[in-house]
Amino acid sequence: MLRWVAAKVAGGAFVLWAIATLIFFGLRLIPGDPAQALLGGPGSQASAEALALVRREHGLDLPLAEQYLLAMGRLATGDLGTSYSLRQDVLTLIGQQFWGTLLLTVLSLATAWAIALLLATWATRGSRSGRAVASGLEVVASAVPHFWLASMLILLFSSLLGLLPPVSVEGPSGLVLPVLTLALPLAGFLAQVMRESLADALESPFVLSARARGETETGVRWRHAIRHASLPAISLSGWAFGSLISGAVVVETVFARPGLGRSLLSAVTARDIPMVTGIALVSALSFVLVTIATDAIDRVADPRLRRA
Amino acid sequence: MRRAQRTLTFVGGSALALSLLAGCAAAAPSSEEPVAGGTLVYATGDAEPSCLDPHVGGNYPQALLATQYIESLVSKNADGDIIPWLAESWEESDDGLSWEFRLRDDVSFTDGTPLTADAVAANIAHLKDPETASSTGYLAVGKIESTTSLDEHTLRIDLSAPDSALLDSFSMPWVGIQSPTALERGEDANCESPVGTGPFIVEEWTRQQGVRLVRNEDYNSWPQDAAHEGTAWLEAIDWRFIPDAATRYAALQSGEVDVIDNPQPNALAAASEDGPITAVAAPRPGASNRIELNAGKAPFDDARVREAFIRAAKVNDGIEGLFFGTVARSYSVLSSVEADSLSTPEYFDADLDAANALLDAAGWTQRDADGYRVKDGQRLVLEFPVSTNQSVPAEQSLFEQIQATAKQAGFQVILEPLDLSSWYGALAAHEYNLVSAPYTKVGPDVLRILYHSDSTVPAPSGYFANLAQLKDPKLDALLTQASETTDATLRAELYEEAQDIVLSGYHVLPLYDQQNHYLHGEDVEGMRALPTVSTPTFFDAWLSR
Repeated sequence: MLRWVAAKVAGGAFVLWAIATLIFFGLRLIPGDPAQALLGGPGSQASAEALALVRREHGLDLPLAEQYLLAMGRLATGDLGTSYSLRQDVLTLIGQQFWGTLLLTVLSLATAWAIALLLATWATRGSRSGRAVASGLEVVASAVPHFWLASMLILLFSSLLGLLPPVSVEGPSGLVLPVLTLALPLAGFLAQVMRESLADALESPFVLSARARGETETGVRWRHAIRHASLPAISLSGWAFGSLISGAVVVETVFARPGLGRSLLSAVTARDIPMVTGIALVSALSFVLVTIATDAIDRVADPRLRRA
Repeated sequence: MRRAQRTLTFVGGSALALSLLAGCAAAAPSSEEPVAGGTLVYATGDAEPSCLDPHVGGNYPQALLATQYIESLVSKNADGDIIPWLAESWEESDDGLSWEFRLRDDVSFTDGTPLTADAVAANIAHLKDPETASSTGYLAVGKIESTTSLDEHTLRIDLSAPDSALLDSFSMPWVGIQSPTALERGEDANCESPVGTGPFIVEEWTRQQGVRLVRNEDYNSWPQDAAHEGTAWLEAIDWRFIPDAATRYAALQSGEVDVIDNPQPNALAAASEDGPITAVAAPRPGASNRIELNAGKAPFDDARVREAFIRAAKVNDGIEGLFFGTVARSYSVLSSVEADSLSTPEYFDADLDAANALLDAAGWTQRDADGYRVKDGQRLVLEFPVSTNQSVPAEQSLFEQIQATAKQAGFQVILEPLDLSSWYGALAAHEYNLVSAPYTKVGPDVLRILYHSDSTVPAPSGYFANLAQLKDPKLDALLTQASETTDATLRAELYEEAQDIVLSGYHVLPLYDQQNHYLHGEDVEGMRALPTVSTPTFFDAWLSR
């Protein structure tokens, strides 16, 4: 077990280093001058002196290799630097935005799971036409782009029905539409995965024996088959979490919700290298942690993995 | 990316159309007398500034906010005349090399520091200090050589050359006057909470959410054209950043916000005087929205090819269709609010036959299988990088229509949507034949910034404002002379001649007036845009609820 954890941690560290390196060179390969972007909003013209000063201040005048080593050295000590565009410590800024995005993604994941479980059990039960509707819904839900879904939810629940606010105001009502936007496509995807293994499970001998013991149909599903059917979905939840983080970019922008996704978008636009690097690393770290966690849950839920 | 943006426009559009149908409530009659109190919620679609002090950098989002808490030496009235503000009066010396500004003696900044000649001198020093990294304000005070406080409230400004644009420059929010005590706190503190003399005070800035502005209870420096005297009616303004246009509009409809900027044209067209949502239009000064033709390289180094492109591009139908009649076609490089603007529709008549004849004459006689013209084995290709941060979806659709009409004459226009940094990069590398770049500056002196050959010399960053690559000694002489003359009639003549050179040389395709549009709910009364750079001011605004 200890070995397993150590391997996972080493793998995670490698992933973080690779991401930091990719971002560092990626952002410098794109044409354009970060110093210019730093000073020049639309319609403004930075003076030569100001540009030179900014370059010196941010070390942009050093050779690329030196900039890279300096940046990695700082990252290794946990120093994410100062944001170019917001002029504040990146770690502090991320700290302010992190919890909003975490709340959004965790709630979305939980909601997606709940919807997926309902869809999957419905799809393997009921009439043939009911099943067809359920699987049709799954496909449509998983294919819907976040942006379109967000606009439609705003149109329906805010503009037409006036039930929910279109922008994220404080309190739970502002969270409903953003969470639904992220959860629905994911639920469709998870339900498809669950439905197949649920159908498999319902054909399995252990279900037959449970039925033979006199379990009700609902009992069979919820006590036996669902646990089995959840395994692939648990493994996928690590990946799903990653997709939620990227979905947060769209959702936080459309619903004007502060968070890491929206920070990332504005940082990329402003060519704010420390901020982009910081957010990507924090997202990657969350992703690595969640993947380790889902692997661990997998091992608990499926004893076969522990022997492997 | 490209498809995503189209979807964005389409979804936003249909969402708007449907929600308009839903939101047809009758307007409540408003009381006539202004009511004091209340918090107005403003939602902006412009970027969140990185610094609330408009001296630092100097772009439009900063001007929008700064108008609420920082005031200028002079202002403009609706007719475009300069009027006193923090400066009571001023006098220019005969040689135009020195100015004396007499300041009001009863005004204090919101931190208690009095407004004095030294305070204004400290502001000019702050703008000129490279550490401030000012861009717009830095250019505006470029000719100021030194300042002298003649007495507590009189400041003399000495120039390196006469500057007929000095008063225009001093009217801009980027050259607003801030408390010298506050400036001394250093850039970080000053970016967070700049201190001016305005009707509101910056209380708190929550990144990505908004800025909380509260009423200045000691306010006494309203401009001459204000509707009332005393403090602002509103107790506070909640300034929120809502980047998505459809969400912003939905928030206005649901009453969560009171005023929005940057609405989509269809939302604007649906607003009306007696409906629940009212539009406020405010033309921006300086240059019009236009496409510059890069004459610095082939194929636009040939004037016939430039004219052919302009004759082939059909602009009017696109503007009518895409902007729902909310903007007017421009035939000038200057905004129509500029008194010296020259409008020449005759140079811009769409005429496909003329375009074809011009291209034939220029040697582009062959066409390839796709219908594009070819000369010496080279296709007639025009690169058009578009900054998606500075262009609304409707404008990008207009560019697509121009691309389609220019194709009929045999031009292949390649539209390249880019983020701001990549866009700057493409311009710096001269990788463009066509470009649309906004530029807001008060007064016709913007012509010198945009078309003087000095502006083709790139800064170390590679940026230059003369994107048309115009290098005409005669034009240079006219623009320099105009910027130095104090004779208004002569100045107008010089600018007219200069504009005719730019327009008749087919260096620019003007599209429409740069306009700011605001939409507000039925509870909002008395809102107006300041005539300087058309930023909204809420000093006279009140809420009827």
